[in-house]
Amino acid sequence: MKRMENVDILPMACIGLMLVMMMMIIAPMVMTHTRTPVDVPQAHTAETKTEENLTITYTIDGRLFVNDSEIDPARLDDVIAEQIKGDPYQLIVIRADKEVLHQDVLEIIARVKKLGAKRIACATRKPKGE
Amino acid sequence: MRARRRRLHFASEPQGLILNSLVDIALALVIGFIVSIPLFFESGIFVNAPGVAKGAPGEVSDIKVNIHLLDDGGILLNEEQVTYEQLEKLLPELLARSLERKVIISTDPNVKYKRVIKILDLAKQKGAAELALLRSRKR
Repeated sequence: MKRMENVDILPMACIGLMLVMMMMIIAPMVMTHTRTPVDVPQAHTAETKTEENLTITYTIDGRLFVNDSEIDPARLDDVIAEQIKGDPYQLIVIRADKEVLHQDVLEIIARVKKLGAKRIACATRKPKGE
Repeated sequence: MRARRRRLHFASEPQGLILNSLVDIALALVIGFIVSIPLFFESGIFVNAPGVAKGAPGEVSDIKVNIHLLDDGGILLNEEQVTYEQLEKLLPELLARSLERKVIISTDPNVKYKRVIKILDLAKQKGAAELALLRSRKR
């Protein structure tokens, strides 16, 4: 009878590698809501939070998105109130284009805060090379 | 009738699977995954906005740091006009004498968002513990 050789694990390692790569690509898409293209301002001191959040995106042409779904600005209060119902400590990330007026962003922050949100962050990106 | 069990017989006992390399690869992948995940996320600056917390009336040694951004690009630090370079120098000195190390930022109506973020970023770099945004400036 033929003697049993060592098991070839190379295909298994390849499959494992593929799975990990797929997870790496899919996980950020699932956990964050940054698909709406916005040129956020740069900052050196920003903190990074890897947690499920509610993202409000404000584009340069004045459109408003909640978790990458466009909404009518008049409905923002209703949508946010529904989302943060029961969890005022849910992280709310404001992704605003760097060229918009600060007053417009502040108006959004004020409305969100009025609804009871306790944790608000402004999205930034680190300068290249940091 | 009694069922007879069939058993496989090997000329020699099979050797255990050598999993060392697999475990090494898996561990390296997991570490790579953990390290790279934060890179995919945008970072941010936490703000208190809008409004100003009420200070205790008896605080005498606390210094407030109020920054107001003007439409024409000017900066007022505690009502004094300063340049960005001067702000960089003065901010650490003021924050060192401030108990709360709180920076309050207000703006004129037409100031762009990126200017505010730049000042917030500077304040954090210089040691601000808390950042607050005001909706309108009260003079």
